Amino acid sequence: MSDEPRDATATAATDADAEVTGGLGDRWASFRDREISTVLLTVVGVAVFPFLFNNFLDGYTQLATLVLIYGIFAVGFDILLGYTGLLSFGHAVFFGGAAYAAGIFSASVSSSPLLVLLAGTVFAVLMAWIVGFLSLRRGGIYFAILTLTFGQMSFYLAASPLAFLTNGENGFTSVDIGHLLGVIDIHGGVPFPLSMLVDNMLYVFVAVMTVLSVAMANRILHSPYGTVFRAIRENERRAEFVGLDVWRYKLMAFIISAAFAGIAGSLFTIEGNYVPLESLYWTESGRIVIMTVLGGVGSLFGPLFGAGLYLYIENIVSGFPTLGPFWHLILGIVFVVAVVVFPNGIWGGIEYSQDRIMAAIRFTRENGIKAALRYAVDLIVRKVKAVFQRISSIPTRLLGGEDK
Amino acid sequence: MTVLETEQLTKQFGGLTAVDEVDLEIEQGEGVSLIGPNGAGKSTFINLVTRRLEPSYGEIAFQGDSIIGMDPHEVVQRGMSKSFQTASIFPELTVKENATIAALAAEHGSFRFNFFRNQNSYPAVDELANEVLESVGLYDERENEAASLDYGNKRRLELGIALAAEPDMLLMDEPTAGMSPEETKSTVDLIKRVKDELDLTFLLVEHDMEIVFDISDRIIVLNRGSVIAKGTPDQVQDDPAVQEAYLGGVEE
Repeated sequence: MSDEPRDATATAATDADAEVTGGLGDRWASFRDREISTVLLTVVGVAVFPFLFNNFLDGYTQLATLVLIYGIFAVGFDILLGYTGLLSFGHAVFFGGAAYAAGIFSASVSSSPLLVLLAGTVFAVLMAWIVGFLSLRRGGIYFAILTLTFGQMSFYLAASPLAFLTNGENGFTSVDIGHLLGVIDIHGGVPFPLSMLVDNMLYVFVAVMTVLSVAMANRILHSPYGTVFRAIRENERRAEFVGLDVWRYKLMAFIISAAFAGIAGSLFTIEGNYVPLESLYWTESGRIVIMTVLGGVGSLFGPLFGAGLYLYIENIVSGFPTLGPFWHLILGIVFVVAVVVFPNGIWGGIEYSQDRIMAAIRFTRENGIKAALRYAVDLIVRKVKAVFQRISSIPTRLLGGEDK
Repeated sequence: MTVLETEQLTKQFGGLTAVDEVDLEIEQGEGVSLIGPNGAGKSTFINLVTRRLEPSYGEIAFQGDSIIGMDPHEVVQRGMSKSFQTASIFPELTVKENATIAALAAEHGSFRFNFFRNQNSYPAVDELANEVLESVGLYDERENEAASLDYGNKRRLELGIALAAEPDMLLMDEPTAGMSPEETKSTVDLIKRVKDELDLTFLLVEHDMEIVFDISDRIIVLNRGSVIAKGTPDQVQDDPAVQEAYLGGVEE
């Protein structure tokens, strides 16, 4: 069970299964496979997120907004990393580049938020075309290093030779964001029914963009491109020898992921009214890799959760008494544990638990509650043992005593 | 009509000449086998023809046009398909998705700007993928992950992927390597069947002489990069040069 794109027959088959067994799990699976349900789930998710976040997790709406912005970035990045299997270490170019382009555009051309967003995204796409064209000549580690190089190049360009445009190390401060469609104050409040869930317009704007971005990503992954991207990830040489122009598809994956980075970068400028120089620094590129892997590569929703957890630890856990100063360490531990226990990230973990719960319900219905409980205790003991074994075997594996 | 023609085709790796001025012609509908002892240059020859390797000099023409300078995917799009020595499939995708990729390449060409169109809006691709799976007998396995197939079925899937484009010519690099006798037999039957059904031209590289003599119309023997004999299976079998190459030269 995965949320990877499925074809028509697969959906039809699931529907047929649902009719035969009428099980809750099957019905859920067939619902999940429709495009409209993906959009609806995202709408519900972003609508209740700030309420839950603020009331139960010590969050605040500005951070919730940032989570969605990085979520968009990560969803796009996963198309490149998780689906096409290309690790870019320079996506800060597109995020930060779009942030600067959006900022400069707002200050000197138009302050309309939608046009600012468009300008930033177009800039990111053009940059990706050039950077992708030059970096995709080489595969694997060379590609990662080349993208990293372009990232650092853009950082130093913005820091000094282009300081007359970017305002150098101080960051770009002259961002000027006007009213949305000329009437809605984007930094203002929201009218009554909505105000029960959200307290400012900016979040609503970013949330709408998030839903659109997820819908776009979902559509791309269900298009022929989704299948071709995964084919390239699985066996690039074979893809070339069925007659696909692998190089151009890889370039498209790169550009598409950069377009999402561009949307996120522009929203980042609109949200903060400011572009820090660090938005081009290599740590920004590293952050998005960690968020995506943490959330779950090769899944549509996983990266959103990864972005959320990362920013939560960075901003909320770092404020905890005693634990706070060690937030980097905590993030590292969370990352290691997540990757060891759930190789497919948080989303992989969610899917795994969901499958388990469905199986448990079925088992209980067939064998009664007593047998189910006995089985559950047994399973938990076995799982915990397995995890301990896995972690305790890390030193031996690292020393090369025994290959996995 | 000549499908594939090479002229003076040569590949040198440093001082070693792996393929030495090979002239070869394959006619429409012919099943040709390329045999020779280990290191004779068979795989290098196949890699030259599929454009994985750049020849040192010489000419390769496919259906009358030179393919020197083309990318591998362009050659495939012109109708030359390749089946690999190992089961080269997309392991983590389903069997159906494996066939769909090949069908996409066959129906849409090497690249298309359609990332906002749902896959379901291309029924022709779906139909072709199903046809491919039926023709190699894997339709019932379509929902399974390709990695879960047994080795024989993986090879059948691989062959299916290569055949999806209805190629004019198929290059097969040891299609039965590593197979059990039963799997080998069913693969040979499959090759014979598609050859008849599609009027397929093929070039086969194979070690198993039984298969070679069973399915070839013509055999070309390569030794140390050069063609030492060609002709019908009977002619080749009786050729003293071939016997010498394989048995190590009694007279020497």
